[in-house]
Amino acid sequence: MASDQQKALLFGAAAAVRLILFTAFPSLPNLLAGRVEVSTPVTSFKRLQEGLFLYTHNVSPYDGGVYHQAPLLLPLFSLLPDPSYYPFATNLLYTALDLLAAQALVQIAESSQAVTPRLFKSSRKDLRWSSLAIAAGFLFNPLTVATCIARSTSAFTNLFILTAMAKASQGASITFVFALSLASYLAMHPILLFPPLLLLCYDVRVVKSKSTVDPLAFSVSHVLGLVVAAGGLLYMSALLTGSWEYLAATYGVRLLLPDLTPNVGLWWYYFTEMFDSFREFFLGVFWLHVASYMPGLTIRLRKQPLFVAVTLTGIFAVFTPYPSIADASLYLSLVTLFRHLFPLMRYSFLASATILYASFLGPAFYYLWIYAGSGNANFFYAITLVWSLGLSVVVGDSLYAALRDELDVERPELRGKEVTRI
Amino acid sequence: MALISSLLALRKDARILKLPPYLSALCIVVGVAWLLVLPLNEYSRNTYVSENALLPGQVHTYFTGSEHNVFRAYRHEVHALVNSPVAERNQRLGDILRSHNLKVATQRYEYHASGRNISNENVYAVLQGPRADATEAIVLIAAWKNMLDQDNMSGVALLLTLARYFKRWSLWSKDIIFLISGDSTSGPQAWVDAYHNSHDPAHVEHLAIKSGALQGAVALDYPAGPWGHRFEKLHVVYDGVNGQLPNLDLFNTAVNIANGQMGIACTLQRMWKHDDSYQDRMQTVFRGMISQGLGHATGPHSSFIPYHVDALTLQTVGDGWHDEMSLGRTVESLFRSLNNLLEHLHQSFFFYLLMGEKRFVSIGTYLPSAMIIAASFTITAIALWVQSGRPSTPPPNPASTSPPAKPSNEKEKVPMTVVKSGSSTAIIPTPLLTTTERPLFLPLTFLTLTHFLSLLPLYLFNNLPSRLLTPTFHLSLLLTSFLPLLTAYALSTTSRPTPRETTLIHCFAAMFLGMFLSALATLNFSLSILIGVAAAPMNFIRAISPSSSSSEWTKGTRRAVSAAQVLLMAVLNPLLLVKGATVWYGVDIGDILVGAAEGWHVWGLWTQVVVWLVWWPAWVAGGVVAATGLFV
Repeated sequence: MASDQQKALLFGAAAAVRLILFTAFPSLPNLLAGRVEVSTPVTSFKRLQEGLFLYTHNVSPYDGGVYHQAPLLLPLFSLLPDPSYYPFATNLLYTALDLLAAQALVQIAESSQAVTPRLFKSSRKDLRWSSLAIAAGFLFNPLTVATCIARSTSAFTNLFILTAMAKASQGASITFVFALSLASYLAMHPILLFPPLLLLCYDVRVVKSKSTVDPLAFSVSHVLGLVVAAGGLLYMSALLTGSWEYLAATYGVRLLLPDLTPNVGLWWYYFTEMFDSFREFFLGVFWLHVASYMPGLTIRLRKQPLFVAVTLTGIFAVFTPYPSIADASLYLSLVTLFRHLFPLMRYSFLASATILYASFLGPAFYYLWIYAGSGNANFFYAITLVWSLGLSVVVGDSLYAALRDELDVERPELRGKEVTRI
Repeated sequence: MALISSLLALRKDARILKLPPYLSALCIVVGVAWLLVLPLNEYSRNTYVSENALLPGQVHTYFTGSEHNVFRAYRHEVHALVNSPVAERNQRLGDILRSHNLKVATQRYEYHASGRNISNENVYAVLQGPRADATEAIVLIAAWKNMLDQDNMSGVALLLTLARYFKRWSLWSKDIIFLISGDSTSGPQAWVDAYHNSHDPAHVEHLAIKSGALQGAVALDYPAGPWGHRFEKLHVVYDGVNGQLPNLDLFNTAVNIANGQMGIACTLQRMWKHDDSYQDRMQTVFRGMISQGLGHATGPHSSFIPYHVDALTLQTVGDGWHDEMSLGRTVESLFRSLNNLLEHLHQSFFFYLLMGEKRFVSIGTYLPSAMIIAASFTITAIALWVQSGRPSTPPPNPASTSPPAKPSNEKEKVPMTVVKSGSSTAIIPTPLLTTTERPLFLPLTFLTLTHFLSLLPLYLFNNLPSRLLTPTFHLSLLLTSFLPLLTAYALSTTSRPTPRETTLIHCFAAMFLGMFLSALATLNFSLSILIGVAAAPMNFIRAISPSSSSSEWTKGTRRAVSAAQVLLMAVLNPLLLVKGATVWYGVDIGDILVGAAEGWHVWGLWTQVVVWLVWWPAWVAGGVVAATGLFV
């Protein structure tokens, strides 16, 4: 079949690009792994190696105060040969992660849940990109490639988020719950994706099964499944490390932000500047802000649960404490599923120009601050503000487009007329 | 609310599309004019020493009397070594330094660039400061050969004398390193790379002895022979590699000491005569910008600046009455000032344009000019984006007060579509239902390919042997001149870009250029503004097609306008401009290319990256856009 050949070609090319970059530029992985835009304290490969060293020497990996990632990554990486001498196995693993994530993206696209969910038929449903084009957009996105080359562990999180979405849009309950619990286990905030994805899974199941599905039993069973799966992972971690102390070193760090290494997000600068007495209050406010989008969007856009989940990943890329370009790459790749909304978006040029400008000025300003010594932290922070602005314009604009799309279906006579959002 | 809606209504106005070219032109004019007013007293400032620990010229200098005899003796020693092989020379220089009770080491280096072998040896000595704890050091450099390939005899002799003299003082609170580098560019680069452990051991030897963090470096360039030469002025050279500059405080301290304490006039950027007039100030700024924009090493100090070590070179020029002892006292006083430093130089500016030894403008004053010029490209990009989204025939404005162009008795019929939803039915004008989608694939592919294509000349010019460089340059000059025409022709025969696609190519090229230039302006202001001005006409060319040009134009007029645009772009070919500049300054293009290749391999120069990967692809895109008009 032609499309199978095309798919093999696409995936082969993507794998080749990654492996060539890995082998032709052996210093590139370490260079990228040291960039604050790519590696955050909770995803850095260098920190993972530190944790791994302690783990293989029978010391608690969290003793050094450097490693903040999930314990189950350690046995996985200890199986692989030492990446500083034999990097090939690790490189292959990360390449495979990206390909699997792209495969999940293909499944999401093929399920058509982006354009025609159960309760809503978009009037522009014929306007869409092929699933291969969407996968190519993910695989050849420079941000994805950079994340892969830097071997940041957010590649795992992205893979499990995409798998959870793919399985939910196929109605495969068990794999959906398991993938989402893995994603949440690794990065914590993906747990917020559970309600919209649960709705998505429910919608698909209702369409698929001829008999009625009891919503209450459905949600209770899935919540229970999530609790069991996540609890199992946490318990295994506790068995592995011998105590429950890892909770403070992993989720505690994500919640309480003790490590203020700069990143592309908005938190680090606020919390460096803040007086200690206000810290707890603002931590609460900032987290409440991130979490508050989930219920509002899930209720307002009940008819398009996949769109809610995608928008939430965009919000994570801006408002979580340790975002990196990996989160942005996930969101930007998922947005391409909603090709039918693009004609309704009003600031696409502004947003893409802002993101492009920021991605060039960011490294320049970081260089001025850290290496040339002629700039300061405000330079870099200003540019992360611009970056976040660009992403949030995409989020807001696509949200507007989705609402407008719903309005066009509900009130066809208003098509093409100016509307004001109140 | 009314204001917002009237602004939003303005968006739809066709007149707003006519505005951007004028806006871009205004930006460029303002950007250039901004630069031209900088030398005026109202916009520039007198220099001042910001760091109070430096206390320039506050100490009495004692480098006189019998030191002069020592200096003369060393000058003869150095003169005797001029023709001896490197190992013997450094053995002797090391012996002299060792006889002052200094720790001495040598460092070999060997670089290969454009088929040439650059190899030599550095010799250096460390004076451990009596009050120092080996955490900080300052460097005195005298290259064996200066930038003009003359033997730096008096410079090296002065370094040896000062080493002997400094060793007898007990007041140093920083270590002092005396470095005699084999040449003026690669030698210091090899040494400073190895000092910071960022060298490639295959080419550069490790340093056997080191001291603390470098706080500053001063290089001496005094190529007078064994019988001496009295000089008129000190030429202070301060440009670093890639256009980075040392902290202005170091420059000010040097000028302050030489001028105020020693009575030696200072000059900069080869302005041998400078009467502080507007023209002289402007010329100094301009020469400084050219030098910064090229980003090449201008002296032994240049290699230090990328490591955040503030450094400059003192070069003697002219015939006058100042002798080597005045220069020695200047260095002594300068080192006493650096010795006072409590922390790394940070108080004063790192980004500045000097227009005289005592007048400057800082980044806040001059940066807007480059940013405004970069913004002109962004404005063009936005305008072209909006233009590319317009339907080819705009629907008539029902609220228009002017009568429609073609008089018609009946009201023009707009096709309607009936939409039914449940029980409700609506009739909607069809044009409102069709959205104009921009074809992004061809423009983006074209630009990506152009950028990848530019990697080829970048690789070639950095790696070809030196004898092939000049022919390759002329060949690529010839090829690139016709590349846009050929590309436009090939495109028109095969896939035939629609006017909308051509507009989008232009739009993205302008956007990328504006983006690169604004990022570059923060790193290397001069390079950004030079490229910005050279590429500025890109804002005003347009793809001429029957649908986009005004209706009175005949095919001949369209062709003529396109040809004029193609000619304009051909003149602005980056390679042609480089060639023109070399002819104007009377330099050999081969030397420039060899220097650039050496810079790429040794100093970490990235000017050619900007030229090939930013400027050249933008120019190609502009040329193709202009040339498409010839083939429709």
